[in-house]
Amino acid sequence: MDRIRRFLMKRSKEVLIVILIITVFLGYVMKKNSRMETDLDEYMPKDHPAFVYSDYAEKLFHIKDGIMIAIEHNKSIYNPGTLKKLKILTKKLQKMPEIKKEDVTSLYTAENIVGHEGTIDVKDFYRSIPKSEEKLKSLREAVRGNDMVYKRLVSEDEKVTIIIARIDDNKFSQKFYERLLKISHSFEGPEKVYVAGVPIVEGTMAYLGAKDMKKMIPIVILVIILVLYLVLRSVKNLIFNLTIVILSTLWAFGFMALFKVPIYSVSTMIPVMLIAIGVADGIHMYSHLELFLRKNPEATREEALKDLFHSMWKPVVITSVTTAAGFISLLTSQVYPIKFFGLFTSLGVLFAMVFSLTVIPAGIVLFGFPEKKKDGNTKKKKDLLPNTFFYRSADLVMKHKKIIILSVIIITALSIYGTGKVWINSSFLDKFEESSDIVQTDRFINRHFGGTNTLNVIFESKLKGKFKDPHILKVISKIQDQVEAHKMAGNSFAITDYLKRMHRVMHEDRESFNKIPDSRDMIAQYLLLYEMSGDPDNLWKVINYEYNRANLSIQIKSDNSKVLKEVISIIEKNRPEVEKSDVKIHYAGSGYKALVFTDLILEGQIKSIILSLFMIIILLALQFKNIKTGLIGSVPIMITTVISFGVMGLFNIPLSTTTALVSSIALGIGIDYAVHFIERYRIYALDTGDVNRTIRLTMEHSGRAILFNAVVVILGFMVLAFSVFPPNRALGSLVSLNMFTSFAGTVTIMLILLYASGIYFKNEKIK
Amino acid sequence: MKKIKILTIITGAILTAQLSHGESKLTGLDVIKKVYYRPVGKDMKSTLTMKLIGSSGSVRVRKIRQFSRDFGRVEKKIMFFISPADVKNTSFMNWSYDRPSKSDDQWIYLPAIKKVKRISSDSKSDYFMGSDFTYDDLGDRHPNMDTHKIIREETFEGENCYVVESRPKDKDYMYSKTISWVIKGKWIGLQKKFYDEDGNYLKVLKVKSYKKIKGYRIVVHSEMKNVQKNHTTEMILQNVRINSGVSSRKFTERMMRRGL
Repeated sequence: MDRIRRFLMKRSKEVLIVILIITVFLGYVMKKNSRMETDLDEYMPKDHPAFVYSDYAEKLFHIKDGIMIAIEHNKSIYNPGTLKKLKILTKKLQKMPEIKKEDVTSLYTAENIVGHEGTIDVKDFYRSIPKSEEKLKSLREAVRGNDMVYKRLVSEDEKVTIIIARIDDNKFSQKFYERLLKISHSFEGPEKVYVAGVPIVEGTMAYLGAKDMKKMIPIVILVIILVLYLVLRSVKNLIFNLTIVILSTLWAFGFMALFKVPIYSVSTMIPVMLIAIGVADGIHMYSHLELFLRKNPEATREEALKDLFHSMWKPVVITSVTTAAGFISLLTSQVYPIKFFGLFTSLGVLFAMVFSLTVIPAGIVLFGFPEKKKDGNTKKKKDLLPNTFFYRSADLVMKHKKIIILSVIIITALSIYGTGKVWINSSFLDKFEESSDIVQTDRFINRHFGGTNTLNVIFESKLKGKFKDPHILKVISKIQDQVEAHKMAGNSFAITDYLKRMHRVMHEDRESFNKIPDSRDMIAQYLLLYEMSGDPDNLWKVINYEYNRANLSIQIKSDNSKVLKEVISIIEKNRPEVEKSDVKIHYAGSGYKALVFTDLILEGQIKSIILSLFMIIILLALQFKNIKTGLIGSVPIMITTVISFGVMGLFNIPLSTTTALVSSIALGIGIDYAVHFIERYRIYALDTGDVNRTIRLTMEHSGRAILFNAVVVILGFMVLAFSVFPPNRALGSLVSLNMFTSFAGTVTIMLILLYASGIYFKNEKIK
Repeated sequence: MKKIKILTIITGAILTAQLSHGESKLTGLDVIKKVYYRPVGKDMKSTLTMKLIGSSGSVRVRKIRQFSRDFGRVEKKIMFFISPADVKNTSFMNWSYDRPSKSDDQWIYLPAIKKVKRISSDSKSDYFMGSDFTYDDLGDRHPNMDTHKIIREETFEGENCYVVESRPKDKDYMYSKTISWVIKGKWIGLQKKFYDEDGNYLKVLKVKSYKKIKGYRIVVHSEMKNVQKNHTTEMILQNVRINSGVSSRKFTERMMRRGL
């Protein structure tokens, strides 16, 4: 280390230039290679069985998310004006380049299976606009008499009709959405037009989230700069400290670009982590330097740097390596963006370490000590917090040990209780304000129709022709009835609906035949008949070619994970009966994938937290050559993690990708605080041999730096609490909360535990 | 009487004029008419194998015994399913009229419910039994419904062909245009390309083989591929008998019920 220090002091200029050159090179690579990955499908582990199956089924049955456009007329949609608008809008949508013609469904495109007086026919509800009262009435009756359309495309009160345009995931863009809105709204008056659906919610979320972040991040950085300046009170220190954060972030993204790793939405958490962690080393080093200079005002640069290196290299390296190890544990995740997040965050942390140990000393060599007010008296008064403040704080903590321990126990217990209430939500809609247009439109359509979200249940058998078997079809029909009884589930649709309709129509439209036929041959012949008279492409959305896979789609009025799980549990109750017929149940569709995906992220996150906790305890124990220290050092991390999850549970903040990742901050920050604090405690303990003095001095040295670090990051991220986008608000609050608990945990309970353990005071028996 | 005579002379003159210029003076409409009216015999018995090939490569095969007879103004056809087993003896009857304005009459008999039902077919653009062929594609479309133009002559698969572009008179028709390769003299459409409403390439029909049976050229193997859906239908005719005497009593509801 000493050699490195001497080298750095001699060659500071060269070191800075080399860093600069590499940075420029990485910047060039970023410019060339960096690209954002916005397709959500790219986030999912392609080889996970649930996704493999869902993708397969989506392709087989042309399952796509639907955009829903509702046209509302205050009296009834059965008037020439509204029907004409429905026709023209349907045709316009079919002509949009992003939408395939056959993916648009409305009353205008729907087919009506009808039969009377010995004929059967599959025909349109209307082609030319019905104008006479009589024709309008007969259209109304045709719709009312057809369960495949009534309440699906026309609302029960007949005031709303809907157009469904199914669209491929990668076709949605903000421009398309704007065009769609413009077209749709041009049909308003006296009708009202509403546009909703999963693609819109997903697309808008990605767009809004990024837009909001673009607006908020500069403010966050500005606040951090401001607070950092107030804390460091030196422009030089501020610049070098910021340089560390910026360079480590740049290098992390530069290396991502170098290895052609795209930027995922979770990657935006990397700077968040690096800001929170990267400023810490600098703050600790400058804080140490300041204290040193205060005690040795006449010291030369050489002396100051020697001391700085001597006392700080170890905690800086330990904290960084341990933090990096904590993030590396995310490699166990099955989700690639999370793996990359872990990998490049730990790289960034290591970069920050290298820069702290090079840029700060080089800066001092080249540009001198931080500027200092010449007048010692005014300086003392202006000092943000006098030393006595920390002494008093230390005394306060030691005086109220019992109260502190008790409150930690109570808070932890409460948090553990709260952790039990934590729920996962893969919902996209829940990320928007209740009053936002997007939520309100969704509500409107869900009020009148089956639901804006779809769950696909795929029944699969090895036996070709299995789904001509009346028994299994009756089971599916029963499942449909059970699911439709759930208040958040609307309609369901499957091969059964075609068969029931055909059976009824072939028997003079008698309601008593609105059921699954009893004979296999009859089913086969109905299907043949449908193929001969209708559009068989519609059939291939519910059954495959070999009749051994059937797709039941269920409309759900919410994309909330709780609701989705409830519906799935209804289906699961029937699993034994279905499997008795040698038929397997699978699920498919974007909603289901999001659910599995969120579960995967969480599972990975919890596994990695536990894993990294063990790693941290071991690493700390190794560093301090004491297992007790390792355990004590991990206390702030554990408390922070538990409280973080507890608060989410108690305040009903659902876990999602972002909120789950925030708990990683607990690791990074917790380690930093604990290591710096314990290291100082050890040094002062060996120096003074007096426990009370050690506590006071440690509080003055590390406690101060920790407080500064916490204040800087908390104030910075509190800015996000004023974001217009709820997930960003949650992010800001949780980062701030974690910073605060890490800080509070370190200077209270960890200090008390250190004291109580009697460590480093071997000769003295304490209590 | 005089009028008729004059008319005959004029017609004769036109005919001679046409003949003297040879076949190269044929219009697009003439070519298509020659295909449409190419004699295929008075009646036919055959076994049709329909192979429906999905985009994933999965194949469904249907075997159908069919009988047809030309009654001049009306062409009647009756079909009985042989396989798959669960639709065996399901029968289908189609009466197709000479007048373009009159739509086909169709019946279906489902043995499982023992009922004959009329299928009212408004549209000849309906697909035939879930295949890639519409009724029109199967040769039902009257030449007068489109305007035809010979766009070039070329050798295609070793045959001298007229390449005819046909555009529908009804602008709402499902195809915006079709292009046919018609063998000169044989009047068989060897290949036909279909373009959808938006002018995009939709389907291609290829005649794989044709046979001369009792002096008539009969297409016995054809394939229609929908390039947009990647779905293919193959139609193979076997045991073809021409003019073997199909009874006019074959085309009744009673025969539909009786099955094969």
